[in-house]
Amino acid sequence: MKHCMALNAKVGSLMLHAHATFDDALILLSGDNGSGKTTLLRCLAGLETSVQGQWQLNQQVYLDSTTHCCMPVHQRNLACVWTDAALLPWLNVQKNIMLGQRRQHASSWHDLAEVLKVSHLLSRQTLLLSSGEKQRVNLARAVYRQSNMLLLDEPFSAQAPKMRQYLRDWLKQWQRQWHIPVLMVSHDQADINNLADQHWQMSDGRLMTTNTEQHKEQDEPFHAF
Amino acid sequence: MLAPLLISLKLSLITTLILLLIALPLAYLLAFKNFKGRTMLEVMVALPLVLPPTVLGYYVLLMIAPNSTLGRAWYAMFDVSLAFSLSGMVLASVLYSLPFAVQPIQQAFRAIPQAWLDMACTQGLNYQQRLWVVILPASKAGFLVAATLSFAHTMGEFGVVLMVGGSIPSETKVASIALFELVEMQQSSDASLLAFILLFISFMMLSLVYSLNRQSLGLCK
Repeated sequence: MKHCMALNAKVGSLMLHAHATFDDALILLSGDNGSGKTTLLRCLAGLETSVQGQWQLNQQVYLDSTTHCCMPVHQRNLACVWTDAALLPWLNVQKNIMLGQRRQHASSWHDLAEVLKVSHLLSRQTLLLSSGEKQRVNLARAVYRQSNMLLLDEPFSAQAPKMRQYLRDWLKQWQRQWHIPVLMVSHDQADINNLADQHWQMSDGRLMTTNTEQHKEQDEPFHAF
Repeated sequence: MLAPLLISLKLSLITTLILLLIALPLAYLLAFKNFKGRTMLEVMVALPLVLPPTVLGYYVLLMIAPNSTLGRAWYAMFDVSLAFSLSGMVLASVLYSLPFAVQPIQQAFRAIPQAWLDMACTQGLNYQQRLWVVILPASKAGFLVAATLSFAHTMGEFGVVLMVGGSIPSETKVASIALFELVEMQQSSDASLLAFILLFISFMMLSLVYSLNRQSLGLCK
């Protein structure tokens, strides 16, 4: 299914212009620090108020400035993973994952906890988790919410290389299974090479879209620093 | 000596319960909303902190006097006068202790990380769910501090309750006024006992507030 966005926003000193159409694919978004990647995700989620333009997912209009339509954040069925895991410290891991969601069949979320390697943490307090564990709980919470799109802001940044590769493989498989669009911010070239059906770049608030094949040809070898 | 203490405790308890109900929406407005007249509302809430209690008592007395609109309406409804009654003292105490209830809750609301609120929105929680699931549990310590301070502050009132209540024995004479009268009548042993009880209550209340504050800052387990 085709989805389209044509967003213009002024957030702080950043002028954001993001015009794109996309389908149910894994889209990787990269760009310099401060170029507006997270801001774009926040605009799509509805967390920024100064956004003008159109934003339509699955033929559902989330934003249309011409008709003054702007769907409230909690009604947009988008699951988000922000860099700040924002786990609530008075709830254990299991309750954090199920936050605000109707209780589903136990096996479905046990499988999810198992596959994201958080099943051994379910009864733990979140303050005692490592940053990598917090990140996976954050991911599990977003995925558990069966949504129309997944917005991921550097979701694997705190993971060890082996776990990162495992999660990449899982994400690819998961996206192929559920066929929902995934927009993922990442600075990791390996993420882009392994995951991206499309690769978008942000530069000074402007979104540039290219397809992956072209991008791969242009790519220089990745040097870790 | 027991009657004034019981009246003080009753007044403090009722005042605290009413204040918690009023403070929640007020603190929410002041912490999260930007609206015209916000500064004015903030000033009005904080005013009892700097106003001499007798000034506040004087205006409350004017407001609830038998010939005032509120006084007449109250008399028509309940067939009793609002001035020089416990109900009148509750009204005055609520106004007098308002900042002690609103400000801790407001600060607790403001201290909630924006990331938690954003997360709650994007997890699909509506306004009411966010309040129950995130905002209220996150500001539990603020509510406990507000309740404790309101209670303790009402226990210690003097000027306002004297103006509005008039120190009628067994009706509106509270512990702090009874202590003053005992000293005036040179009943020093009773005065010492009452003073010690009030000191003890205040000490315990403040100990509770500080230990709650430490807990909310994560300084002790």
